[in-house]
Amino acid sequence: MAQFVQFTLQRAAMAIVTLLLVSLIVFTLMELVPGTCAERYLAFKNTQGSQITIADIEAEKRRLGLDRPFLVRWGSWVGNVFIHGEFGDSCILRLNINQLLADKFWISLGICLVALFLAYLIAIPVGIISASSKSPTVNNSLRFISYLGLALPNFLLALMIMLFSTMVFGDSLTGLFSKEFRDAAWSWPKFVDFLEHAWLPIFILGWSATAFALQTVRALMLDEIGKLYVTAAAARGITGRRLLWRYPARHALGPVINSLGFDLNRIFNELPVVALILTLTEAGALLIEALARSNDQQLAGAIIFLLTASIVFLNFVTDILLALMDPRVRRGLMG
Amino acid sequence: MTAEAVASTPTKPDQKAKEAYFTASQSQLIWHRFKSNRSAMIAGWALIILVGMGVFAPFLSPYNPTVAGRDVNYENGAPEIPKFWDHNGFSARPFIYAVERERSIKTNFRWVTTINKEKRHYIHFFVKGWEYSLIDFVWDLPGEMFDVNFKALTLDRHLFGLDEGQIHLFGTDASGKDIFSRTLFAIWTSLAVGTLGVLISFVLALIIGGVSGYFGGWLDSILQMFTDAIRTVPPIPLFMAMAAFMPDEWSSETRFFVISIILGFVGWPTLARRIRTHLLTERSQEYVLAAQLAGAPAGHIIRRHLLPSFTSYIIVDLMISFPYMVRSETALSFIGLGLKDPVNSLGALMQNVSKADVLLNYQWYFIPVLFFIALVLAFVFVGDGLRDAADPYSGVKK
Repeated sequence: MAQFVQFTLQRAAMAIVTLLLVSLIVFTLMELVPGTCAERYLAFKNTQGSQITIADIEAEKRRLGLDRPFLVRWGSWVGNVFIHGEFGDSCILRLNINQLLADKFWISLGICLVALFLAYLIAIPVGIISASSKSPTVNNSLRFISYLGLALPNFLLALMIMLFSTMVFGDSLTGLFSKEFRDAAWSWPKFVDFLEHAWLPIFILGWSATAFALQTVRALMLDEIGKLYVTAAAARGITGRRLLWRYPARHALGPVINSLGFDLNRIFNELPVVALILTLTEAGALLIEALARSNDQQLAGAIIFLLTASIVFLNFVTDILLALMDPRVRRGLMG
Repeated sequence: MTAEAVASTPTKPDQKAKEAYFTASQSQLIWHRFKSNRSAMIAGWALIILVGMGVFAPFLSPYNPTVAGRDVNYENGAPEIPKFWDHNGFSARPFIYAVERERSIKTNFRWVTTINKEKRHYIHFFVKGWEYSLIDFVWDLPGEMFDVNFKALTLDRHLFGLDEGQIHLFGTDASGKDIFSRTLFAIWTSLAVGTLGVLISFVLALIIGGVSGYFGGWLDSILQMFTDAIRTVPPIPLFMAMAAFMPDEWSSETRFFVISIILGFVGWPTLARRIRTHLLTERSQEYVLAAQLAGAPAGHIIRRHLLPSFTSYIIVDLMISFPYMVRSETALSFIGLGLKDPVNSLGALMQNVSKADVLLNYQWYFIPVLFFIALVLAFVFVGDGLRDAADPYSGVKK
């Protein structure tokens, strides 16, 4: 037990170090975006008719602490994030980022996690069937459908579904909420309304994730299914589904659990594009807005950091989960 | 071995087949297994055709895919499908109808395009058309020094064309550019971006994964931590952040290079990890010990002994990561941070599709999308087939 606690602590420490590294990467990237917050703010003021001098920019820089060295600024940013959970103010919108993001981030995370869950719900049985089936027709058609999820660009899929629903139902299926719920507080009817809108992004994100998951499950199953212990089990008279689930599948699914974090990563990847098409009002859309339109470093940095943090957290959870589930890993830990 | 169990009554040809099996080299075995996988073979042919279309794009496309080759008389024109017969009778040479454009009091002084069904334009093969160079290096990189301008083997023959007028197999876009020609060049661009990206990430992965796997210890721990950190940042936001500081005034060539480099720099960790894992298991094998005892330096052992032990895996991995590179390029171009419209990349072409006007009126803009889907599917199926073929255990069962 003590060893398990030690293992958990060790993993937690590693996760924090990874987060620090990631925050450094994200922060550096944000620094590389041309222009600073101060310049951007004053440029905005300039458009409003006030006269701006170089001295004003310098003063604003000092106010925002931009005149300090790079590492110090990183340190204070990370410190604020880790200790207070505070991301500061957005450059362009001049709003507190925590307020700006709050719900939106959780909605994005929820959509992505559900998409991930659905992907594996389909990919695990289908992958196992595909790896063990002798019939090339079953095999190829299953793979074709799932790889179509990979090949069909998700924005195209979103567009087609939108077009279809506009023509058939007269509703374009965009957005995340109906008009009357947009600014309302969370309640049961709002949640139901949300689900009615959220199924489309979940479906689109889930399909391409399924393709990936299926490729992984199938490859792992194929590796395991030819091994001697499976033959030995078959020789003892275990057949069919029982054989597959109890022997090769158990081994094959270990690495799958391990890679969940990176699958979430892949879904986050697709999120901004889908959000752009479906005009979702969540973090992915905000990220595109911040990066591609307004160059809002603070906001973009905060979103990327939050997305990455949730991946690191999931990785940590799956590590622990794997140690609990897999006797080999557990044995390895306990010595 | 199952092979021996099956061949309990050895006959002469059987013996020969067995001999061929046991003496076959690794690549022969892989090829043999790959050939017996029908879906992978079909995908392989499709891939060869698509790559061929990209490589021979200048020869195959009847018109210049840039603004220089636009057809002013046929903007947003529908695809023209060659016919062999119509109400005027049969013709052995395929033809299309003439397109006429007029502006007069009858049309309310607007340009109106009509198809004249009485007038035929015949298709000819190996016609003279716009000029292209087989060896063509014109790169406008930042800084005067790096500009390259080198042209050789300038040709002007094309596979097909009309004697008069123009033919647009896939129609034209809003500025009258031939979508067929654009598609071919787009395949080439996307493949080139993908190849460059895969190559860069491959070299990085080989160096980082190789060092980390071979030396192990604290070096491995540090490199792994770094790799994991890169791997956890979702690539598209990372691309977006990197692309955001690409100045707008950069030429399309520069953008092209920078995007390939970005793709490469973000794509290496997965492969690096796999190389590391493989090296970790291989380096404790006897043949490595033997080489070490014989006094071989580390670089030599990695290069000559360890890498060949899993070349097939590397090839498979590269094949599998290719469609993801192409996909990333299109996604990046689609959100407007990658290659932009005058450039012919599949992503840039797909960006045009998302307009409502196109969805409802000009559906032929979707044709490049079909090529994209075919390209990705072909790559994935070939990659899968290669993986199955490279797995030494997969063939034993049969």
